[in-house]
Amino acid sequence: MDTPRAANVLLVAGDIPESLSEALAHTHDAMSHPRVTVWWSSVPVPQTMAERFPGLVQVDGDVVEAVIAVHRDLLAGRRSSEPPILPDVDPVPWRGEGPYHQGGSGMTGGTPYGRPMAELMEDRDGLRLDYIPLKVGPFFPRFPVGLVLNVKMAGDVVLEAEAEPSPFTTAVSDVLAMDAEDALFARSLYEPVAVAELEMARARSHLRWLADALLSHELHALGLRALRLSVEVKAGDGVAVRRLARALSWTQVLRWSTAGVGRMRGDDLAGMGLGPVARAAGLEEDQRTDDPVYRELGFTPVVQKGGDAAARWRQRIAETVQSLDIAARAEGRETSPMQHAESPRGRIEPDSVPFSRLLPFVPDLIRGLEWGDAVTSLVSLDLDLQAIPQPRVIAEAAG
Amino acid sequence: MNDVTSPVLAVVVVGAVMMAGTYTVAVLNTLVGVAVSGDRVRWGRAVAGPVRTAALMLVQQRQSTEKNDAPGWLIAPALLAALAAVSLALVPLGPDLVAADPETGFVVFSSAIAFVMIAVYLHGWSPNSAFPMHGAYRYSAQALSLQIPFLVAMLATVLPAESMSIVDIVQAQESLWNVIRQPLGLPIYLMAAASVSFWGPLNLPDAADLAEGTSAEDSGVARLLWQVARASMLFALAAMGAAGFLGGWWGPWLPGFVWVILKTLALLLILVFAGHTLARVRIEKMVVVAWAVLIPLALVNIFVSGVFLL
Repeated sequence: MDTPRAANVLLVAGDIPESLSEALAHTHDAMSHPRVTVWWSSVPVPQTMAERFPGLVQVDGDVVEAVIAVHRDLLAGRRSSEPPILPDVDPVPWRGEGPYHQGGSGMTGGTPYGRPMAELMEDRDGLRLDYIPLKVGPFFPRFPVGLVLNVKMAGDVVLEAEAEPSPFTTAVSDVLAMDAEDALFARSLYEPVAVAELEMARARSHLRWLADALLSHELHALGLRALRLSVEVKAGDGVAVRRLARALSWTQVLRWSTAGVGRMRGDDLAGMGLGPVARAAGLEEDQRTDDPVYRELGFTPVVQKGGDAAARWRQRIAETVQSLDIAARAEGRETSPMQHAESPRGRIEPDSVPFSRLLPFVPDLIRGLEWGDAVTSLVSLDLDLQAIPQPRVIAEAAG
Repeated sequence: MNDVTSPVLAVVVVGAVMMAGTYTVAVLNTLVGVAVSGDRVRWGRAVAGPVRTAALMLVQQRQSTEKNDAPGWLIAPALLAALAAVSLALVPLGPDLVAADPETGFVVFSSAIAFVMIAVYLHGWSPNSAFPMHGAYRYSAQALSLQIPFLVAMLATVLPAESMSIVDIVQAQESLWNVIRQPLGLPIYLMAAASVSFWGPLNLPDAADLAEGTSAEDSGVARLLWQVARASMLFALAAMGAAGFLGGWWGPWLPGFVWVILKTLALLLILVFAGHTLARVRIEKMVVVAWAVLIPLALVNIFVSGVFLL
């Protein structure tokens, strides 16, 4: 499902920051009747949440079973459909009709009913055309949860884009919402962690990204295959990943639709610790090279040329194979904590994650692109807004 | 087919074949998807799946949008389905087994295909919402570029038949199928057929990067109708491809209509497999390829066919 209109069950996984609750309510109200909300969490339903979603079903365990059961009840009429949360009113009241019946003072430019109208702006060819201001996110299916872009679109072209700051400002209190692998990388800042465990986590993270990225390129079946692989993959099993990569590359269409899209120059990324994104642009930056254990294992970073979306795809697949190989050879070796570590998305430090360093690149990256290319570029960056703004806090929470 | 009942019969038969075709597309799509994902094929689930999905959509209440164009929203899937029905009605199952065989069969088919753009645009325009509207914009650019090579490739099949009747086009393939006589024709036709029914790599108006584009606001019965219309269009184009390029009813041993069904299924399989294995293409590159490569190739195809007939 890419749109709430087609859905009947809203599954909320983990805690939702207060700043997203309004958007969540909008998503809820866009669903079709009969509808129900399931909250997957181990902590008790907060007061605000319970008030907003009176029919909320909480699940703490097998979520798939629970969703199926709730859905069945809903269709059988054993559970009533949830009423809308927000009132069905215009964001701004109608300001009446003008003297020439032209639709009132709010109609000429500005924001009638609180909705901005099309206005003129120069496009990439230097033509002054109408643009439509559009807010995309925070639950847009192709974006990471929480990412909000304010874009000005002329037809299918992004004239201007602006990213809103991440709504995930504080570490979440809910263990379910906390990614076990994020916690692992955060812990590696302070204590020795098994190399094999860390590299498997990296491989799984890349494969999950691949599954998600494949969906945005309309390859649902292959996406499912990548997702299954992310769960089942074993150390040293680079063959399975290569086989999947071949299934993606033999027709060349995927390469054709990502090559040259969202190009980032290595010079701009140098020293920023942007992990696969930097290495795809040819930079040999990897925190693992500082760790004697990795040197002992003969680790050298893989890099690509090009710095475009296609290079980032290749980079993550190559890194997955490399990680599986290291995991197989690592035996009982453990990392040495250094106050900085290489997460699947780049360098993490006690108070810094790669996402916050990567987000400022986004507006320039997608300016002037077709919307499809803009999405391809964003997907290839593997932004993760929920990735803990403070690894320190997470590491403490995870013990 | 001169008596009074035959038009009614034709409508009923075309409707039934279209429903069967839509169901076939849905089952085939599930099966190929499961095979590509590497999962175990569960036949029962694949066969019952489309019925379950349809039932779910029927239970779902329709959500509306603000200040939408209600008649347009209602008409769009009906128009698309009607265009698929028109195309399907022209496909002969045998020399005397066809719902409609006008002398201008090819022209009727062309005009039906040209109207697909109207249906998709209407479907994107009507909900009064940003993503559907963008899907509609996209499809105009896409349809303009790909419908020309599509129809030019199909037009070449008229030459050996020296007739625009689809039955005559199939008759003319008795000794040699058009897929061999005009090797460029079928690949161009299939590529463009995926575009006309916005399928797989060429599903740009309802694409994932637009949260399903023109369908983003669809729910319940409206969503079901649009999906059915789209699948029946894909089926109709596969059937027409079998008639135009694979010699329709011609084939040894089996009765003619079985050959038509088998050939249609073969083309459907190619289209469905492409949908699961080829990534969505970039519209910018696609438009360039359509104008700079496919249209010239389709013209070469037609000239070469002409030269052989002199």
